[in-house]
Amino acid sequence: MEAPALALEGVAVDRAEVPVVHDVALEAARGEVTVVLGANGAGKTTLMDGIAGLAQVKSGTVRLAGTAVEKLAPYKRARAGLGYVEQARTTFRTLTVEQNLLVSQRGDGDLATVYRLFPELDKRRGLQAGHLSGGEQQMVVLGRALVSAPKVVLIDEMSLGLAPLVVRRLMTTVGELAGMGIAVVLIEQFANLALDVGTSAHVLRKGRIVFSGPCAELRGDERRLHRLYFGGAPSAGGPRSDGAEPGGATPPAAESEAR
Amino acid sequence: MVNSVIAGLTSGGGYALLGLCVVLTYRLVAVVNFALTAVGALGAFVMVSLTDRGVNALLALLAGVVFAAALSALLGAALVRWFAGHKEGTKAAVTVAIFVALTAVGVRLFGGNSTGAHRFPNPFGAPLFTVGDVVVPQSVPVSLAFALLITVAVGLLLTRTRIGLKLQALSERPGTAEVVGIPAPRLAVGVWAGVGAVTTMVVVLVAPRLGGDFSTLSGLISTALAVAMVGAFRSLPLTLAGGLILGCLEGLSSSLDAIQKYQGVVPFLVILVLLWWRSRREVWDTEHGR
Ligand SMILES: Nc1ncnc2c1ncn2[C@@H]1O[C@H](COP(=O)(O)OP(=O)(O)OP(=O)(O)O)[C@@H](O)[C@H]1O
Ligand SMILES: [Mg+2]
Repeated sequence: MEAPALALEGVAVDRAEVPVVHDVALEAARGEVTVVLGANGAGKTTLMDGIAGLAQVKSGTVRLAGTAVEKLAPYKRARAGLGYVEQARTTFRTLTVEQNLLVSQRGDGDLATVYRLFPELDKRRGLQAGHLSGGEQQMVVLGRALVSAPKVVLIDEMSLGLAPLVVRRLMTTVGELAGMGIAVVLIEQFANLALDVGTSAHVLRKGRIVFSGPCAELRGDERRLHRLYFGGAPSAGGPRSDGAEPGGATPPAAESEAR
Repeated sequence: MVNSVIAGLTSGGGYALLGLCVVLTYRLVAVVNFALTAVGALGAFVMVSLTDRGVNALLALLAGVVFAAALSALLGAALVRWFAGHKEGTKAAVTVAIFVALTAVGVRLFGGNSTGAHRFPNPFGAPLFTVGDVVVPQSVPVSLAFALLITVAVGLLLTRTRIGLKLQALSERPGTAEVVGIPAPRLAVGVWAGVGAVTTMVVVLVAPRLGGDFSTLSGLISTALAVAMVGAFRSLPLTLAGGLILGCLEGLSSSLDAIQKYQGVVPFLVILVLLWWRSRREVWDTEHGR
């Protein structure tokens, strides 16, 4: 069987020497959107930083298409096929739109594809990215990930601070990335839009996975999501235990359905 | 006196480039490089050691430049390898230690102030033209042209080439640059090598005027830092201007007997004045800025 595009096993990540993420297992398959949910401070960004190499993975393995990368420098992980759309729209502000794309272009990454997905960028090729609107900057960052011809793209809180219309538009694009055969890992604090485009979902609470399962199972179930985010009484009659322990102090009995 | 000021422009072009090297190292790899001129002086002395033995001057220059580039790259690689995650202050302290070590080695090998003055080739020493009493030596336009050439080349490299854009990206957001696949360590080592090479050429250029002993040339770091401060460690044009100003100030001070002895203090005075000026403006900004 083909190795999944991204596979994490027993991953723990520290932030400034403080353990933040513990024992995370998850997989992301080619052509699918894998959603990671969780409240503020749950450790979503820390987990992504660990995968991308911006924070140190203390234990466990991160595999890209079967190859362990958790000890590699961030740029080597990028070259191994990992794209990362960081939180907070990290364009290179002094470079133009086109230059932002050029510095990360690799392999058969193609600027034309980006301009086709985002015609508004095509019109602003020569403009410094710092002068773009928030939505356009997010497009640049997405485009930058895309021109590196990635196998996996991590997207962290893309929608933060953007108008609903723009968010919807970008979500469509996320679906298109998956359509190109990329494994997308999508982090969202506000779950519904993400669950709509996603296939499987994981919920993170206090640095641990408390739910792994198909998106369909969570779609529209606000109460269950709330419980997963913040802990609480076990779900009545649910087939899976989803982090039933109040406060989540003990390891949750989450099972990953991806295997 | 006018003659001295004009002759000071020869050094000024060189100082501008030293400042440029400091600013570039700071902006592109986030290190205040105190070891800059020690490395350049070693390269320059590799060159004179060869010319002393009768090697062709251009060949010797090439050898010196390559040596300094390699040494500088090695230092850069060491900093990347062992001090990548550390604070700017720590990295600067490391380069200070390297400066001290390299200067000690250089003085040991090539002699100090009184014993070590070497004859550097001075191909541009002859006057270019004379207006009344004012003599303009050939070295002035050569030095200025060299400064301009290197600055323009660096500017083109940074804005017109893929590598230059990657360097700019690295300078603006180091973490993100790595995340998009920019090989930060390799580029950093490249910057160090380039800076080492340019510094050697500058040291060779200004050595005939400064007497050509190792500790004086290695000590040019104070001038380089003063020049970089004029540019606030950012602006390339201001840095260039700063170099020329320092060269002229030095020429001026060398022509006035009373202060000639204290010529070495000029860069420190410039640094102090700038610190005072900037802190004053900060006070002004916080009081009236919002
Ligand atoms: N540099 C740091 N030093 C110490 N603790 C940190 C640091 N950065 C983050 N943390 C802590 O790590 C925890 C997880 O933070 P993280 O940013 O990963 O959460 P998140 O799930 O991405 O939250 P959000 O939805 O707000 O982006 C938080 O409790 C946060 O306070
Ligand atoms: Mg976050």
